[in-house]
Amino acid sequence: MVKVFNWQINREMEYPYAHTPPAKQFAAVFDINKCIACQTCTMACKNAWTAGRGQEYMLFNNVETKPYGFYPMGWDVNILRLLGPQTWRGPTYTGKTIFEAAPADRAAVGYIPENEDWANPNIGEDEALGTIDGGAYFTLPHPVWSFYLQRVCNHCTYPGCLAACPRKAIYKRPEDGIVLVDQERCRGYRECTRSCPFKKVMYNQVTRVAEKCLACYPRIEQGLQPYCTVTCIGRIRVNGWIHDPKQVDPESPVDFMVHVRKVALPLYPQFGLGVNIYYVPPIHVPPRYLTQMFGPGVERAIDTYRRAKDDPELLGALLLMGATPRWIEKFRVRDGIAMGYDARGAEIVRVPLTEPLHIRPAFDAARAVYRQNIT
Amino acid sequence: MRTVSRRRFLQATASTGAALAAAALLRDVAFLQTIPEIANPLTFYPNRGWEKVYRDLYRTDEQFAFLCAPNDTHNCLLNAHVRNGVVTRIEPSYLYGSAIDVDGRQASHRWDPRACSKGLSLVRRFYGDRRVPGAMIRRGYLTWAQRGFPRDAATGAPPAEHFQRGKDEWVKVPWDEAFRIVSAALVNTATTYSGPTGQQRLTRQGYDEAMVQTQAGIGTQVLKFRGGMPFLGATRIFGLYRFANSLALLDAKLRGVQPDQAVGGRMWDSYTWHTDLPPGDPMVTGQQTVDFELFTVEHAKLVTLWGMNWIATKMPDGHWLTEARLRGTRIIAISAEYQATANKADEVIILRPGTDAALAFGVAKVIIDEKLYDEQFVTRFTDLPLLVRMDTLKKLQAKDVVPGYRPAALTNFARVLPPGQAGRPVPQQDGLEIPEAMRESWGDYVVWDSRSNGPRPVSRDQVGTYFDSTGITPALEGTWSVRLVDGTTVQVRTIFSLQVEYLQTYDAATVSGLTWVPQDGIRQLARQIAANKGGTLLVRGVGPNHFFNADNKDRAIFLVAALTRNIGHHGGTIGAYAGNYRISIFNGLPQYIAEDPFNLTTDPNQPARTRSYVRAESAHYFNYGDRPLRVGNKNFTGKTHMPTPTKFMWFANSNSLLGNIKGFYDVMHNTLPKVETIVVNEWWWTLSCEYADVVFGVDSWAEHKHPDMAGSVTNPFVTVYPRSPLKRIFDTVADIETFAGVAKALAAEAGDRRIADVWQFVDQGRTDVYLQRICDASTTLRGYRFLEMETKAKRGEPVLALFRTYPKVIGWEQTQESRPWYTRTGRLEFYRDEDEFIEYGENLSIYREPVDGTPYEGNVIVANRPHPALRPTQPAAYGLGADDLSTETRQVRNVVMSWAQLETTRAARAKDGLTHVFITPKYRHGAHTTPTDVDTTAVLFGPFGDMYRRDKRMPWVNEAYADINPSDAKALGVQDGDYIWIDADPADRPYRGWKPDDPDYKVSRLMCRARYYTGIPRGVLRMWFNMYQASHGTVAAHESRADGLAKSKGSNYQSSFRYGGHQSATRAWLRPTLLTDSMFRKNNIGQTMGSGFESDVYCANGAPKESFVRITRAESGGTAEIPVWRPVALGLRPTAENEAMKQYLAGTYVRTE
Repeated sequence: MVKVFNWQINREMEYPYAHTPPAKQFAAVFDINKCIACQTCTMACKNAWTAGRGQEYMLFNNVETKPYGFYPMGWDVNILRLLGPQTWRGPTYTGKTIFEAAPADRAAVGYIPENEDWANPNIGEDEALGTIDGGAYFTLPHPVWSFYLQRVCNHCTYPGCLAACPRKAIYKRPEDGIVLVDQERCRGYRECTRSCPFKKVMYNQVTRVAEKCLACYPRIEQGLQPYCTVTCIGRIRVNGWIHDPKQVDPESPVDFMVHVRKVALPLYPQFGLGVNIYYVPPIHVPPRYLTQMFGPGVERAIDTYRRAKDDPELLGALLLMGATPRWIEKFRVRDGIAMGYDARGAEIVRVPLTEPLHIRPAFDAARAVYRQNIT
Repeated sequence: MRTVSRRRFLQATASTGAALAAAALLRDVAFLQTIPEIANPLTFYPNRGWEKVYRDLYRTDEQFAFLCAPNDTHNCLLNAHVRNGVVTRIEPSYLYGSAIDVDGRQASHRWDPRACSKGLSLVRRFYGDRRVPGAMIRRGYLTWAQRGFPRDAATGAPPAEHFQRGKDEWVKVPWDEAFRIVSAALVNTATTYSGPTGQQRLTRQGYDEAMVQTQAGIGTQVLKFRGGMPFLGATRIFGLYRFANSLALLDAKLRGVQPDQAVGGRMWDSYTWHTDLPPGDPMVTGQQTVDFELFTVEHAKLVTLWGMNWIATKMPDGHWLTEARLRGTRIIAISAEYQATANKADEVIILRPGTDAALAFGVAKVIIDEKLYDEQFVTRFTDLPLLVRMDTLKKLQAKDVVPGYRPAALTNFARVLPPGQAGRPVPQQDGLEIPEAMRESWGDYVVWDSRSNGPRPVSRDQVGTYFDSTGITPALEGTWSVRLVDGTTVQVRTIFSLQVEYLQTYDAATVSGLTWVPQDGIRQLARQIAANKGGTLLVRGVGPNHFFNADNKDRAIFLVAALTRNIGHHGGTIGAYAGNYRISIFNGLPQYIAEDPFNLTTDPNQPARTRSYVRAESAHYFNYGDRPLRVGNKNFTGKTHMPTPTKFMWFANSNSLLGNIKGFYDVMHNTLPKVETIVVNEWWWTLSCEYADVVFGVDSWAEHKHPDMAGSVTNPFVTVYPRSPLKRIFDTVADIETFAGVAKALAAEAGDRRIADVWQFVDQGRTDVYLQRICDASTTLRGYRFLEMETKAKRGEPVLALFRTYPKVIGWEQTQESRPWYTRTGRLEFYRDEDEFIEYGENLSIYREPVDGTPYEGNVIVANRPHPALRPTQPAAYGLGADDLSTETRQVRNVVMSWAQLETTRAARAKDGLTHVFITPKYRHGAHTTPTDVDTTAVLFGPFGDMYRRDKRMPWVNEAYADINPSDAKALGVQDGDYIWIDADPADRPYRGWKPDDPDYKVSRLMCRARYYTGIPRGVLRMWFNMYQASHGTVAAHESRADGLAKSKGSNYQSSFRYGGHQSATRAWLRPTLLTDSMFRKNNIGQTMGSGFESDVYCANGAPKESFVRITRAESGGTAEIPVWRPVALGLRPTAENEAMKQYLAGTYVRTE
């Protein structure tokens, strides 16, 4: 074990391997407030990557309703139970990470799901915590609530799967930090499945190897965002390169939302993985449950998001989600327009913060026609 | 493009797993390799060559764009990516932001991406095992046809042995043979029911006398046609209307009449068939529907969602709502349960289903009591200041009080046509075209002028700024005596004062009791709407619209909108959302659907000559048993609405007409036996196909060989279906080729080549000629070249429809430019003085209880004290007993009760154990009415998905379920995940005449899983609409197959229900206020008006959510291994949480210091 620094828990922690940061780190921001649980992302991923034999149950991307939804069954209840109650002191996590809590013969605390745990992939769909027995009227925060949690592989800085593989068949690509299972060298021991708390490495019983979200790397290599991002009609996702807090690029949309505005938070940072998918927490949910999931920055993030109407830069970053299938390296907001740029600084897309209104003349003389709204 | 046979494709993809491919490459070598030295896989990895596997998987050969257009209103141009000739992936085009109009105005990339899970899953549907493989004919029907359509000598009815629908097998026949059979059926049917002999046969078969009279011995009038949501296909779905029009040629032959006496086929409605029309809109405005394109929300300050689950049913436009919220727009969700859109809302109001009108009245009363209403808007744009005669309850006419009164000349967006003068073509209509006689019949109305203290006439021109210039200061409240020209004196009152008097019933306590909404919620809602005048979007959904009292709900919410000036502004207006209905956006459609078949225009560069020979009716009568609404001693169905008997039906693109019809099992059991021919165009075998006679297998959206176009009501784009380069996957033809094919056979049989000539451009591959004609004649398309639109569509880019505003807001010209509405008064009308409305107690805007979906007595008018304008005819006058609360009678009862009295009543069938209001809304896993079709989308639909179907009772990889409050479930002994029976009123559901040992009963009785759902109130049960229901074939398979799969043998039709379906609990309903001949409204297309029936504007509308049910436990949700549904045993379910789950829900696994 060596010591590595994990900024998400604001301290050093133990990990089997020393940390060399990749040249760039693949990351994304998901705005939970805009997710409509349409599962278009799930379908895009499934069609592209898990439509073969043995893959029937696999969803590299899934969307579950919190708090009664899970895929696989009870995954986060299970890992939280295995870890036990833990503590944050301010921004510092003083509890144990999954590596620090590992049993002697394992890389991390974890478990292998039963086969049946992968059934009912949308259990809890739209179910709320709290009961409506009759009529009701309430405002924020909702006393009866649910929200949607979209999950892919987090392409962690300190992956649980990579730490656990006895054959070192899991690696992080040095050019972009994408975590992959070597399909040739994997022998199906399933230690990765055991050790990933998010259960995003899955075992194929037909081919007898593990498979996982590949960050659509063939697309990334062409300067495109992954399928789950580009098919998101809720326009909740944007990908980008995340930097270490000491090397923030405020023009990168992900760095801006994570490090500058701090409106996007890591998922279960206390597990100690250095996850790279960041979430804007739902503003209508009471903070206690959210803090368990996203750490101590929840209330500040919600407050910042609710003031977006007076923050054109944040508004612009959020409204660039879904605007283009191409990878956005940098963004800028000027005069009510948000613009995205590629690595060479060329503009790839622009969107207005408010869609303009047009009124056409009642009579189009050139074409001899009266234009009507009521036809 | 290389082509690969389906078999080889399936074989190849069986080993698609990347690992398998890689392993195959290095199988022998890999196991011999030692583990290479990998010091730190975070830093460096030596064996990355394998990564090519996913790059290979990702690569495709080419792509093409196609249009996905089910009835959801979105119409997404998608890119299909092709590998070895097979579509393997679908992506959004990202070109909506590039769309421009004829003047170069552009949309923005705020519109992108546009797609959804169902669109992406089409890869499995194009190649699926339910594709209709070609022309299919049911064997029994084929035999009947081959025998020459033998019939009973006396009644003309065919022998029942040929009509074992649902229990028969299917034969694939060559296309020409199929066309000949359908053509022969058309001729045989029309001949059989021709003349007095034909009418006599119909009478002997038991049809209502009024229907037989309406058919008038015209054989073509028993032939019914419906293109399902024809706005989705201007030529290929609307083609059925063109075909029906051309049957005038057949009629001319059969009856030997001249063209001006000829009658074509009968057309069925679409928008009103789906119960998507908000029926109060034509009553208040004269216009079909008042709505706005959904991105109007960019400009609103407040959005109130009345029973509209925006993020689940308008998914590609969900982001407009959430992005508006980002910018400070406030969202209030009003619904019957905590549903998906509730979790996007700032405020949530939960109410009793079907009581929205009462809530709106409560809101209106607060606004009026607290003087928060906009008096200016109300006096200038509504009928509320107009005077009503308290003797007749009719609006006071100017001619009643002004001696020698001449109706005012009309010039405000109006053109009065002297007799014999024709109207202008639609693009040149610069005003409402009103025949002089119609204008005279309307007269002019009267207000009380406070300034001169006397009655003053007001014409329909005088609205908005035109009213200002009259100098009249109308009183809103008051009672006066007025001397009429005949010397008598009558008392008159303003409509406002009459309505306000009625609203006294709706104090906060009454409304709270009736609707369940806490009083504070009523007040907050009212004050917030009033605080955002002209800045509130009042959005009505299909939840409340699917109740019998839907028109009451519209009139009430419109009142709130009018009081707060929230009509016709970009930031504040009223909307209604359902399917894709507004065919008038292509108001040049008559160029195609009404081209005169006796006078065809063969020059492709000339417009067509039009003449309509068809007649129309609502399909709700077919649903109701192919009969009108006749209850007690009265026929409630107006003459203009009266249907004819249905002996032949042909529909396209519409499982809703049969497979998802309300009361499906009643229709199947009791109504279908008298229909002699059912022809369905489909590319995917549906429940409609299971019970049809002929199924024409048509091209899927990926295979179109003829272009077409579709428009939208919720977005400003016009989308073309571009011709596809993909080779046809099955032996299918285009929809439009089925019409042309039958027409060819019919031309030969009838001996009139013009019947085939109607389709000459189809034969020439020039369907674009029809489409260009439609474009040139449409106000929204004129200026576009269709073939250029197709070129853009081929890359996935739409064009913009040319409305007056972007976004389109219905009512913008009325409010901003003082144009009159399409009513007699020119104003928004809250008072209806037609005789029928007065008779039914609906002259004022009132509240009625739901007719079936209520724990109380159904359809009661609620008023806490007698009202001088409320004088409805009582049941005894119709020859009905006072205690007769049967379903038929309830439709026409006009009993008035106070809330206190209503509260003591119980639903008619409560004594039979019926306890729950049963609602069946639409959901995210289907597109509008389309059920969930393929395994990958189905497995995510609800909590019971399992790709491996470990519990063999599951009908498929998912199964139907109903959401129930856990307290209700426990009281009924139902555990989370158990199977339950859901039974509605046994008098007529699941079908009239059912018996427990009838084999059809087993197929028809609804069984599903129960899911504990804490977000739904007690007494309400919710099931989603979008699942395929059980058929004879699926039940037989479910019970006989070892694996229990409910998959119909032969057709592969797949049900998500073991037994029955959601339509086991529903039925047809006919509302008398929608069936009058006297109500004036705008015609569907163009600037003209009429009265009485108008398809999709004013006619029967149904009420699919009206259901009150009993719930009984059927089976345990557990299996032999686990006695309860597994998640319950794991302690992860509401009311059954284990310790860890409880801590997790409380958030106590983490403590912050």
